[in-house]
Amino acid sequence: MADELELLRGANPFTVDDPLYGDGPLDHHASRRLNRLLHERRRRLLWSLTAGVAVLASAFTLLLSGPSSAPAVAAPRPLVVQAHSTPVSLKQLAALAAVTAVDGTPALRKGTHVQSWSLGMSDDKPPVTIPEERIVRWNADDSHTERVVEDGHVLKDVTYPPSWSDVPPASRPPRDVVGLRSYLQETANSRAPLTTPELLDAVQELLNHWTLGARESAALARLLAGADGLRPVGEVTDRLGRRGQAYVYQQSAIRRMLIMDPATGAVLGLEATFTKDQPEYGVKAGDVMEYSAWTR
Amino acid sequence: MSNDEIFAAAYREHYWAVSRYVARRLDGRSSEVEEVVAEVFTVAWRRRADLPPASLPWLYGVARNCLANAVRGFGRRRRLVERVGNDESAHGRQVAAGPDAEAPGAWVHEALARLSSADQEVLRLTAWEELGVEEVAVVLGCGTRAAAMRLHRARRRLRAEIDRLAVLGGAG
Repeated sequence: MADELELLRGANPFTVDDPLYGDGPLDHHASRRLNRLLHERRRRLLWSLTAGVAVLASAFTLLLSGPSSAPAVAAPRPLVVQAHSTPVSLKQLAALAAVTAVDGTPALRKGTHVQSWSLGMSDDKPPVTIPEERIVRWNADDSHTERVVEDGHVLKDVTYPPSWSDVPPASRPPRDVVGLRSYLQETANSRAPLTTPELLDAVQELLNHWTLGARESAALARLLAGADGLRPVGEVTDRLGRRGQAYVYQQSAIRRMLIMDPATGAVLGLEATFTKDQPEYGVKAGDVMEYSAWTR
Repeated sequence: MSNDEIFAAAYREHYWAVSRYVARRLDGRSSEVEEVVAEVFTVAWRRRADLPPASLPWLYGVARNCLANAVRGFGRRRRLVERVGNDESAHGRQVAAGPDAEAPGAWVHEALARLSSADQEVLRLTAWEELGVEEVAVVLGCGTRAAAMRLHRARRRLRAEIDRLAVLGGAG
């Protein structure tokens, strides 16, 4: 009788010439996924590009005092903090959120509804802002539907078969600060505790998967209250017309703004704005690189 | 080449090999295979700075972890546990190169299914993914000597199961 490995080789259920999974060029689906990953690259590239550039202290003041300089490219203006509004500290906000969360409503819901505006880069054209709305709804049988509308065109409207994962951010987020912290660290794939910008990235990732309930929002608010360098700056009206409290973190050439609902502690949005010109990318200080707004 | 370009090249080169790896372990259930493969490359993308020059065994290692998570997840639904586990129905799709080849293929699957999952994995990596011992070690995250030892033992146990089935079934 043949050698056992030979026998096993002969029983290979999927060989290189398999009709479904055999070697060959990528199919449409696989190409699109790759493009999606590489599209992310563009934005990441900008992040890395802008990291390590000296902070311009004046840029921040300029932005908050109102965008008097018109953006040269088709990018939305950053949110403006209302003059004379009183900033609410994250600690205060977290305390309020904890009180509101006592009755546990609204409840956590899997899926998301996010509207985002982000700069799309091209090598030979000025950057343009791409608005996108993404709605993910999960059903009782663990199947889910994802609908993506970009710039008025339905890019995707697909129902996926039942699936389940116990890995963040797909797994259920905890509602205690310690649990949530490690959940977000796992979301960011980091072995070390997260820095504030990493934490904001992980929060974005979380909210792109889940619509937090009152309890999770309260835990998140407490966690954010402990993050270094997030400063309360006052009240803003976000792009969906909602009033929120803004908290700012200044990176080397980008300002991150977190917008939170002062009544519930829920994160309403996150904005990233250039605070320094990047002529090679056609962006100027004051251009919004990315903005996400979450609704229920 | 930048990390991103290296990643894109590895994706194009190995997408189908990774798909087969996953399909072999999920009994070819295409919607789940696609989902797990997407996850594998998302994780690989996040860790692209770690992508070694010989990236396929490394990708298999990522796939192995993703699959473990997915299987645990799918495990909530009993029917999949049964399929992915060592149930006879786990290998519904088998090579049927011809009437003569079909029968030995079937018992090899059955013999394989009787082994521990660790034994099964080292054998599949060697016979189906056609990896050498050093590559198997990368996937399993162990040393080369340990991988060689595991393979040696797993082969012996597979042989014993095949012989047993051959005796029981009167085939040979």
